[in-house]
Amino acid sequence: MGLLAKWASMLAVTAFAMSAATGAHAESAAERAVKEAQKYKGQTITIVWEAGLQALDPLNYSGPKWEKLTGIKVKVVEVATAEMFTKIMQEYRAGTGAYDALNVIPSWMPDLAQAGALENLDPYVEKYGFNDELQKIAPTYRDNQMKVNDKIYGFPDDGDVFVFYYRKDIFEDPKTKEEFKAKFNRELAVPKTWAEFDEIGQFLTDKYQPSMYGAAFFRQAPYAQFMFQERFRNEGGKFFDADTMKATINSDIGVKVFTDMRNENKFMPPGVEQWGFTENLAAFLAGQTAMTISWPPYGRWAAGYGKDEEALNWVPKSTISGKVGYALPPGGHPELAAGFALSVASTSKNKDAAYLFIQWLNSEDTSLERVKLPTALRDPFRDSHFTDPGYLKLWPEAKEYLAALEEGSKTGLLDLSLLQTDKYEEVLRQAISKLWAGDDPKAILDEAASQWDAITEKIGVDKQKAVYANWAMKSGAYPK
Amino acid sequence: MNARRRLALPLRYAAAIAFTLFFIFPVYWLFIISFKTPAEIFSYPPVWYPKSIQFANYWVLFKDGDAFTVWNSLVLASISTLIAMVLGTMCAYSLVRFRTGGENLAVWIISQRLMPPIAIIFPIFLLYVWLGWVDTYHGLIILYTAFSLPYVIWMMRGYIEEVPIELEESALVDGCTRWEVLWKVVFPMVRAGLFATAVFTFVFAWNDFIFALVLTRTEVITYTVQVTHYFGGQSNFWAKIAAMSVLGTVPIFLAVATMQRFLVRGISMGAVKG
Amino acid sequence: MTSETVDRVLDTPVHRHRMPDRNFRLWLVFPAVLLLLLIGLFPLIYSLVISFQNLTMLDQDTSFHGLMNYAQLFRDRRLWEAILHTLLITAVALPLELVLGLVMAQLFLDHMPGRQLFIALIVLPTIISPIVAGATWRLMFDQRYGPVNQIISWLTGQQQVLLWTVNPKLVYPAILICEIWQWTPFMFLILLAALSHVDRSQLEAAELDGARFPRIFFKIVLPAIWPVMAIAILIRGVDLVRIFDVIWALTGGGPGTMTETISIYTYIQGFQQFESSYTAAIAFLIVALMSIVVTWAIRRMGLAR
Repeated sequence: MGLLAKWASMLAVTAFAMSAATGAHAESAAERAVKEAQKYKGQTITIVWEAGLQALDPLNYSGPKWEKLTGIKVKVVEVATAEMFTKIMQEYRAGTGAYDALNVIPSWMPDLAQAGALENLDPYVEKYGFNDELQKIAPTYRDNQMKVNDKIYGFPDDGDVFVFYYRKDIFEDPKTKEEFKAKFNRELAVPKTWAEFDEIGQFLTDKYQPSMYGAAFFRQAPYAQFMFQERFRNEGGKFFDADTMKATINSDIGVKVFTDMRNENKFMPPGVEQWGFTENLAAFLAGQTAMTISWPPYGRWAAGYGKDEEALNWVPKSTISGKVGYALPPGGHPELAAGFALSVASTSKNKDAAYLFIQWLNSEDTSLERVKLPTALRDPFRDSHFTDPGYLKLWPEAKEYLAALEEGSKTGLLDLSLLQTDKYEEVLRQAISKLWAGDDPKAILDEAASQWDAITEKIGVDKQKAVYANWAMKSGAYPK
Repeated sequence: MNARRRLALPLRYAAAIAFTLFFIFPVYWLFIISFKTPAEIFSYPPVWYPKSIQFANYWVLFKDGDAFTVWNSLVLASISTLIAMVLGTMCAYSLVRFRTGGENLAVWIISQRLMPPIAIIFPIFLLYVWLGWVDTYHGLIILYTAFSLPYVIWMMRGYIEEVPIELEESALVDGCTRWEVLWKVVFPMVRAGLFATAVFTFVFAWNDFIFALVLTRTEVITYTVQVTHYFGGQSNFWAKIAAMSVLGTVPIFLAVATMQRFLVRGISMGAVKG
Repeated sequence: MTSETVDRVLDTPVHRHRMPDRNFRLWLVFPAVLLLLLIGLFPLIYSLVISFQNLTMLDQDTSFHGLMNYAQLFRDRRLWEAILHTLLITAVALPLELVLGLVMAQLFLDHMPGRQLFIALIVLPTIISPIVAGATWRLMFDQRYGPVNQIISWLTGQQQVLLWTVNPKLVYPAILICEIWQWTPFMFLILLAALSHVDRSQLEAAELDGARFPRIFFKIVLPAIWPVMAIAILIRGVDLVRIFDVIWALTGGGPGTMTETISIYTYIQGFQQFESSYTAAIAFLIVALMSIVVTWAIRRMGLAR
């Protein structure tokens, strides 16, 4: 090798070594956000957040911390869940510029993006180098809850997924296992199919009622419609015919799901059709039901995590901590029901400052701390969350808990998300309430399907078809 | 007559208690929720009397600043009621005694109450954005006053119609100005009506949700909006809901209890007839 | 009934002054009317304008679309069902509240120990935010966690399963109970004030003449309180048409759309689905219908003479 070449290769090695060294020192997205935000010191940004428990995060933890790091004040505008969409849309339509950053539920994103209320975040992600950490969000959330028409409009910030909770102690009780085996000729185990679930539920209710029932769900229409979306797809159903865009929820599968759902109520506590989130939670934590399906907070609260927090004093004290097992719901593909994403309002006057705040919130470092807060309603959503040693220590069964969440994040199903999704969901809610009222499932679903078709017509079949095709392509749209 | 009255009293008392129980039971239920533990709130069978009475939930509302929204509601409702009562009664008097504007004005006034709030809230929001009145006290006060006026005017019309004109005319003869007749003769005569109308004018403003929802953001949140913050998709702060509601009812309860004597006209009409 | 007989029945004609001072009477009216115009005019014009446009969630189309939205009104079955539901609730709740309020007002009219406390307690239901009232009743009606079914079980001697917010046969009773519970005190207080204005000497004279209570009531008391009572009926009727919170909390308009009223339908259309233009058209339809009814009622009840 000539002298020039020797120098060149030494230079190359040195350069490589230097870059490797600086690579090891590479700025995290959180740090970068803090650094860039210094130039906005003294400003105030507003962020819309779900009122109540959720809002404690920015009010008590992330807001003050951000202010300390950057000098930017965070004003939290709490809005009741049911009114969030309305307020965001109204403020946007009136052009007030009152909101800088937003929390949006991913299924709203097509409507909000179409209306122009959300800022496209691609330029900012580019400018502030967030892409790497964005990619580290668990696949199902990353690939399904971030973009509309391939443009980034929000950062998935909440690992909402339906988890199957069951009483390990009941399932491992020798006498119960024996009786079950005698009756069904197989081991008592976590149900893999809904048919198994029905058998187990009926069996447990027969054995233990009235002190305990086999299962209960939140059967109130707004919640139950998520469960229908999940179960329908797990059983093989499709929402629409992709070519004609006609609704196919009234297929045999749909009718079967509806019929099964109603039959199950029979072995659940009387009145379960009226149960919402808290009623179901109370029953489970009091040990009155052996199985249920719900969002991740149930798991934390059942284990007693955060039980001394004042903000959680409305949660009934768990009588079953240590006895709860976690699994995927029957069918193996849980619904990623609702969820939250962080966005920037298109009418904001402080877009960069707002963006930097949400980048910081959503970054690897900060989000890890946030999901570990005892009062958090934000659930783990990054790969690193599922394996964090700190989290694993929080309660004895945390490992299984995180494993179940991670599994769910890989196989999860996305909420239906089209133009004017709420109109379609409204039809489902009404269909479910008619189901509990006793109407014939086929008739209900036929009516629902025709209503869906009418909505599609009004919006424009081709328009909606394109949006649906886009949605159906996502990994979480239908079980693979 | 007196004998019959005395016999009827125990019966009346029993009936009074029965009615009061029906109306008060749900309020009682809400009230004790503010003392129950979460397990007691969702207990089967239902718990009728909590194990212990602690005021922790109320304390938390004050500490967190939520109780401030009760204060907001109080301010907004009281001031708007006061203004509406004064302006409205004046207007009602004019309508009754002088037939000002005839039937058309009266009907137009009540038609202001017919428009569903949902339909007009967005244009009002736009108007307020333009005026800079969003999330301000004066903005909501003016709004509540405007929406209370039709109710006040129409109710006070009814009560003023009951006042015999001879009283006013004799006062005029005695040398009172028309304003004095209004304030010194008519107002006292319709005391009971004023009170009943004021109570509900206050209640309508107090209970408003939709305008407060859209027209406030952080500064002037009212108690009705604050209470909805406690109903979450994944949370339900029943104790706070109950405690807030109790805090909200205390002012009006005291007002009604102490000012009840206005409901009953003391001296009879002897001044004119006798 | 001709207007003459109406006049004769309504024994107390409205008294008016002879020669009013023109400025005085206008000054009395001016502030109120100004405020009403300030707040009421713009929304009205705005709503009228957009009802001819095509503002939806997706489309901000402000071009003139003629009577498109109004035509849709007549084809909208859900809207007319909502109107029917609203009328049903109003037709049942209003008379019940009136009669109950009247009975209670009569009951509390004369002195009774502790009357002050009773009255203050009875008024409480109206002060509770309607949203909270709805939520509380929902909890109370709950099969498992609420006392209502528990009480019924005690009374009937056997365990009852009554799903008040789900069973089609029970949803209307549930709504009506909650509504009547919350607003009868309104009628009660107003009628109490009106009854207390009734001239005692007239009542006593009639009693001395030997008249019995029903006759006294219908011939003397009722005509005397009629002006106030009629207005209370009008106001309460108009408010019942706008019933929202209670139904939203109890059933959400369900099962299906069985308990959906005008306000709920308008809320869904305007607030959740942002069909702004269509909502404006609905609003005008409602205003038009109600204006007709209210004007008829006002004339019929002789309120604006």
